[in-house]
Amino acid sequence: MNPAKTRLAVLGTMSDLHRQPISYDLHSLQKTIAEVSPDLLCAEITREGWERGDLSQAPLEVREALALVIASMDIVLIPVIPTPEQFPDFAPASGWRRRLVRTFDRFLRWGQIQANDVETINGSWFSIFCHTICWLTELVWTAKDRAEWERQNKQLVENIVHAVQRDSGRRVLVAVQCQRLHRLIPLLHAHDDLFSIVAYQDL
Amino acid sequence: MTIREITVSVGGGQELDRAGLSALIASLPGLLVVPIDKTPPPQVLVWETRTSTDELPSVQSDIPILLLTEDAGFESLSESVTGLLSRDESPSALGIAIRQVARGEQYLSPSLAVAILEKHQTGSVLTESEKSIIETLTERESEILELLARGLSNKLIAARLYLSVRTVEGHLANIYLRLGVHSRTEAMLMAVKIPKSIGTTVR
Repeated sequence: MNPAKTRLAVLGTMSDLHRQPISYDLHSLQKTIAEVSPDLLCAEITREGWERGDLSQAPLEVREALALVIASMDIVLIPVIPTPEQFPDFAPASGWRRRLVRTFDRFLRWGQIQANDVETINGSWFSIFCHTICWLTELVWTAKDRAEWERQNKQLVENIVHAVQRDSGRRVLVAVQCQRLHRLIPLLHAHDDLFSIVAYQDL
Repeated sequence: MTIREITVSVGGGQELDRAGLSALIASLPGLLVVPIDKTPPPQVLVWETRTSTDELPSVQSDIPILLLTEDAGFESLSESVTGLLSRDESPSALGIAIRQVARGEQYLSPSLAVAILEKHQTGSVLTESEKSIIETLTERESEILELLARGLSNKLIAARLYLSVRTVEGHLANIYLRLGVHSRTEAMLMAVKIPKSIGTTVR
């Protein structure tokens, strides 16, 4: 319908740190989404959960920030994750792998605490730090979990691609936990013919 | 990056109603409540009425008015009234209605739309020419027309079909053109006749 090429930006969110008893201001995430005001917002919730209005399995930032912003604006939420599992759900249950994952996790949490705002979380130093820690963590996971994580991210990208193909020429913001970004961005770049990936500030 | 705020004034009703409504509007992102006599004038005037016999505002005719009402029995309305919002709608619908009216579009709450249609549509059926025009609509346009006939707002249609609001607006413009109608209400009046005439042919 619209011949212009879709513009797509990826916004990393603080993710599971919100599960911790650390009080983060979700208002800054809401404000960023409202300012960017995308046409479509791809978020981490399953289609079944979203259509039932059941946000209980969705990450806190979806429940407490994104859902509230889109309710009062002309933004349409596209549920894109195939299953509700998040990065920390893949941690091994016991043994040396678990201990190592917990060590990496502590590093990641330290980094997230230093990067307590949307801009820093999506800045270059935190991206390199987060990508490195997440890559190392994934190496320690079992092969089965790694394959499942990869499958989930591929499916997520497919869902984003379907949304873009259904409604081309729009401004699409993908808001996902920052631990996904090092997997997601290369997968999204494989579809450069469908959309231009830009910084969220330039959307 | 700053969000462009829509200026809104509140009038009609009792002082407490106006104060509550102003506070609610001010809490929605991108909306700014200003005095009714402000220069430049507000972009939207939200007017509280209880019944269709309440006094309507006499303001500059170029300010679009969104009427907050619980009664769809108005015999005639000023040209400035481009939105009718039911009092039983959620607070988030108010934000969507204000934005739609500010963009120069019309807004009609689903419950009011149904009441208006019930009042005007008594046993009418499509003519042969209307039927043949409706059969030329694409599958997507038919889908949107069906949702329009159920009284859904553009945002709700977009959310239901996982399309952006702008795309739905584009489809609606095409639908109006094909049907030879000039407003949402005219399109709805034609759409509600479809099941009686050609039923599942289009649906």
